[in-house]
Amino acid sequence: VKSIIGLALLAVSAAPAFAAKPPAPAPKQAAASAADADQTLRAMRDELDRAKTRLSLPGAGKPFYIEYRLLDLDVRAVTSSFGAEVSSDTERSRFMSVDVRVGDYHLDSSNFLSEDGFEGFLGSTGQVGIDRDYNSLRQDLWLATDQAYKAAVTQMSLKQAFLRSLTKPPEIDDFSQAQSITRVDPRIEPDWTTRNWEDEARKASAGLKNFPDLYGTRVNYYLIYATTYLMTSEGTTLRTSRNVAAVEAAVDTQADDGMPLHNFYSVDVARPGDLPDPATVAKGVEQAATELMALRSAPLVADYTGPVLFDPPAAGSMVAQLTAASLSGARPPLSSTSEYDNMMERVGGRSEWSGRIGTRVLPNTVTLVDDPTAKDFQGQPLLGAFDVDDEGVQSQRVTVAENGILKNLLMSRRPGPDFEASNGHARSALLSDTQPLPSNLFLQATGTLDAGALQKKFIDACKDDGHEWCLEIQKMDNPALGSVSPGDFSDFIGELAGGISSGERLPLLVYRVHVADGRKELVRGATLDGLNLRVLRNVLGIGSDTAVYNYMQNPAGGLAGTALGSFGSAQGGIPSAVITPSLLLEEVEVRGFHGEPRRTPLVSAPPLK
Amino acid sequence: MQQELSRSMTTLSGADPSTYFVSYTVSDREEATVSGSNGALLNSTNDRGRWLEVQTRVGTYQLDDTRKVGDGRPSWTSPGTNVALDDDIGVLRRQMWRETDRQYRAASQALIKVKTSQQVQVQTSEGSAGDFSREEPHASIGSRVEIHVDRKPWEDRVRRYSAEFSKSPSVLNSLSTFTALATNQYQVNTEGTKLAFGLIHYRLELLVQSKAPDGMDIERYANFDWLDPKDAPDEKTVMASIAQLLKETESLDKAPLVDPYAGPALLTGRAAAVFFHEVFGHRAEGFRQKDISEGQTFGSKVGEKIMPDFISIKDDPTQASLGGQMLLGNYPFDDEGVPSQNVQLVDRGVLKTFLMSRSPLVNVQHSNGHGRRQLGYVPVARQGNLIVSSSQGVPFAQLRQKMLDLVKQQGLPYGLLIDDISGGFTITGRQQPQAFQVTPLVVYRVYADGRPDQLVRGVNIVGTPLVSLSKIVGTSDKQEIFNGYCGAESGSVPVAAAAPAILISEMEFAKKETSTDKPPILPPPAHDTAAKGQAQ
Repeated sequence: VKSIIGLALLAVSAAPAFAAKPPAPAPKQAAASAADADQTLRAMRDELDRAKTRLSLPGAGKPFYIEYRLLDLDVRAVTSSFGAEVSSDTERSRFMSVDVRVGDYHLDSSNFLSEDGFEGFLGSTGQVGIDRDYNSLRQDLWLATDQAYKAAVTQMSLKQAFLRSLTKPPEIDDFSQAQSITRVDPRIEPDWTTRNWEDEARKASAGLKNFPDLYGTRVNYYLIYATTYLMTSEGTTLRTSRNVAAVEAAVDTQADDGMPLHNFYSVDVARPGDLPDPATVAKGVEQAATELMALRSAPLVADYTGPVLFDPPAAGSMVAQLTAASLSGARPPLSSTSEYDNMMERVGGRSEWSGRIGTRVLPNTVTLVDDPTAKDFQGQPLLGAFDVDDEGVQSQRVTVAENGILKNLLMSRRPGPDFEASNGHARSALLSDTQPLPSNLFLQATGTLDAGALQKKFIDACKDDGHEWCLEIQKMDNPALGSVSPGDFSDFIGELAGGISSGERLPLLVYRVHVADGRKELVRGATLDGLNLRVLRNVLGIGSDTAVYNYMQNPAGGLAGTALGSFGSAQGGIPSAVITPSLLLEEVEVRGFHGEPRRTPLVSAPPLK
Repeated sequence: MQQELSRSMTTLSGADPSTYFVSYTVSDREEATVSGSNGALLNSTNDRGRWLEVQTRVGTYQLDDTRKVGDGRPSWTSPGTNVALDDDIGVLRRQMWRETDRQYRAASQALIKVKTSQQVQVQTSEGSAGDFSREEPHASIGSRVEIHVDRKPWEDRVRRYSAEFSKSPSVLNSLSTFTALATNQYQVNTEGTKLAFGLIHYRLELLVQSKAPDGMDIERYANFDWLDPKDAPDEKTVMASIAQLLKETESLDKAPLVDPYAGPALLTGRAAAVFFHEVFGHRAEGFRQKDISEGQTFGSKVGEKIMPDFISIKDDPTQASLGGQMLLGNYPFDDEGVPSQNVQLVDRGVLKTFLMSRSPLVNVQHSNGHGRRQLGYVPVARQGNLIVSSSQGVPFAQLRQKMLDLVKQQGLPYGLLIDDISGGFTITGRQQPQAFQVTPLVVYRVYADGRPDQLVRGVNIVGTPLVSLSKIVGTSDKQEIFNGYCGAESGSVPVAAAAPAILISEMEFAKKETSTDKPPILPPPAHDTAAKGQAQ
């Protein structure tokens, strides 16, 4: 009863108070009554006001920008394996992150990486109390602001020293102006009682006991309620709720020749109540296991160069991996060491589109749009939708490429060589640094082909190329979802990182399509080689079967915005979507398996039942 | 566990390379944590998990895959995996089978490296000791332990305790954490050991942080430990402890920095207990005598006098309490399945032996039940309950007088009284352990001319702390106990140390480096008089 009353009250006061205002001295007029009762907002405002007017060190400027971010998080995570519960955790936590900048919009203390720096005693980020009370949060914000200000002053002097060592300092501003915004959405209180999640997780994985050749399995349920607060000295006050629920399942085994193999099933939705029932999940999980069993006895693929057809889910993953590094228009931070550049290079973080505005980057039939304002596509929800970005800027639809010509890039408030202002694409996970990232990326095309015509074009291209068979990719790998243990995932990423900059990509379900009779045959051991953004300039055919590929961008270790960033999980990922039809690429290099396979277990598997 | 163990051994003992030992350990843990900071709840969680560790040793007891190769740092972490909480035999066996295969694979690869290195490297004398000791099997099935924690009252308590700290404008940050932990450990190995035993531990920790005007970090900490819910500290006891910590914090903020000093020092029982744990205890851990990169301070000193003959030291994890107070380092079996043993380390000043895990030394072949680890680490020899006793104890007041006599003899104005020492005892929470560093936290100058004692700040022990052991000239007649978590190579393990107060004839102290990070620019929000004035 209590929760129903709570929801009703929220609904009454919920009309999102929304007002875009010019920057700087703005009267506090539009804050809704819900905001006034929120002790979190009150504590943030009072400490911010005090810091803005009174924080200063002799010889150093006052802060010109202060930003408070706070994340209020309720997470339920349940894991099962072969029908047995492995863990079940419920955790409520709150985190803060304080950014203070000295200088001005042209040259400030940000965008600079150096090895030295201020080492404070508590830091400007950290865990704060979960009571949503006033006093403890002010105490925490007070210390964090003090630390952030001292760090900014130190950083500014290091940065100025570094700039003096350059022959020509960069002309790009450090921070762009943006309209402030006041918007306080209702907070959505978590409710775990509507469904028995432990029971569902058990049921979803129980059927895997019928697959005695599986080595390991895990089915994870994640239910996440997140409320983010943002308050800045420019006058922005923001409270938004974002919920995600997901089922992520992994199954693994070894082929008889020792090759380790895995498969996954995942579903991401915006609300826990929208998750499919256990029978539906079980069906999906068992489908993944069935595919894995087929993969286990599938023949190895030989080296191959020729046409490759990507079915929509595989095309979505492939487009996400190829475009990730090039969509951002922000400039990289100044760095007194080359480590940052090297690190980004290694994980495929170099932009191929920066500085190429107005040139052709895609086929002239293709238009690429990133649209965070789109909530669904043909009735299917899009995971990457949001109204206001993580810097408090209204989200905008951005046409990146029109008829193949590069028009625009995704921008946060960090200017770049091509564009200055934000277009509402600053995103972050768990209060990490924001960066411009895709939300809902639409690949739209004219002159598309229906399934039959595309298949015919594919077969014809194979014949022309003199192949007896060609390859069709149904599903790309996502080791974050496909690894049964976290250790397996980090091993995987470690191995993959070496090849990712040279365009190595991993397919999961690959079929050999025979030219003679159109027969499809599952094969294993393929790696795509030299697959970079330029291959998208020459697309041989595009299907009319546009579909939604929802995924989580992985922000861990700076992976978001790189090719590895599309290997994420609901546990801390950035919700995103790619909406694309089938893509027939003219020429892709595929490498068969050449390594030494591991041996299979010496001891035979024990009975599961 | 038994079924998979025997099935694995049957196959793997005949494989190449051959496995000579397999053990399975399942740690079934339930932990409730309630934490408060600055008057608000920080978190309140209940976790349950079952962690499986599989050890497959390939080679022989004399030379196996765990042998340290060259100068490489050994790996302290131990692989493992979460396994089903539900008692589903089929699923548990599948998870054990998989982990066994993974560990056998890793061990086989490691053994190849070990054998290669044997061919190319000079053998040290330490290396002639075997890799694994042969021990008698033990079978003991105890009853399962459980905790039933109502977190609600603790949520209110930690809020209240941390709010109490916030009343002082000196306090920057405070933390109050309650934990309740029940561990049921199941272990089987191919030598025939079969164990099930449980341990319960409740703890309340208080931490307060401040900064002196010159930027030096000030930190005070207290903890309460108990085994039975009815022994939880009452409100009055905790509030008294908070008052004491606050008083010390505020006094330390204002205390003068110490001048470099060499002269007599008196350590209270609690400070002496930590001192012995850090300075002597860690050096008596057997594996340090084996590793050539270690100091091996006592390596060849067995049978020699290393401290005055009125001092004896034992490590006795079989003891649950001392003088009515609980000892946190009590356990029935160590993490290698060996029963815990009382080990006499120093008898009337003479070093007798070392604390041993199943990693043998040339002259100490067997474990004495001290192979311990935190979940996720490989067991090594660690302390349990280190108990220092003296045959010449005198009342504390007399010991204090004796220090003043020494001060006068040496023509000094004052001696130092050390009431608290930070060491490898780690604090759960936002803090980092400072393993093996011995820093006095609460130090008083005790004047020869009868002036009141004066609290000083920023004291660091210099020189070799070990030398001070030989300069102990007196002890009190009453042992005091320190319970804590000790962080070292095999992670954080619960330990106790007990010792009487000790008088050291000469100890050298220097100024501690202070942090450059100055106190916050603005006053604490709750104590900001300027803001209140403005607001009106």
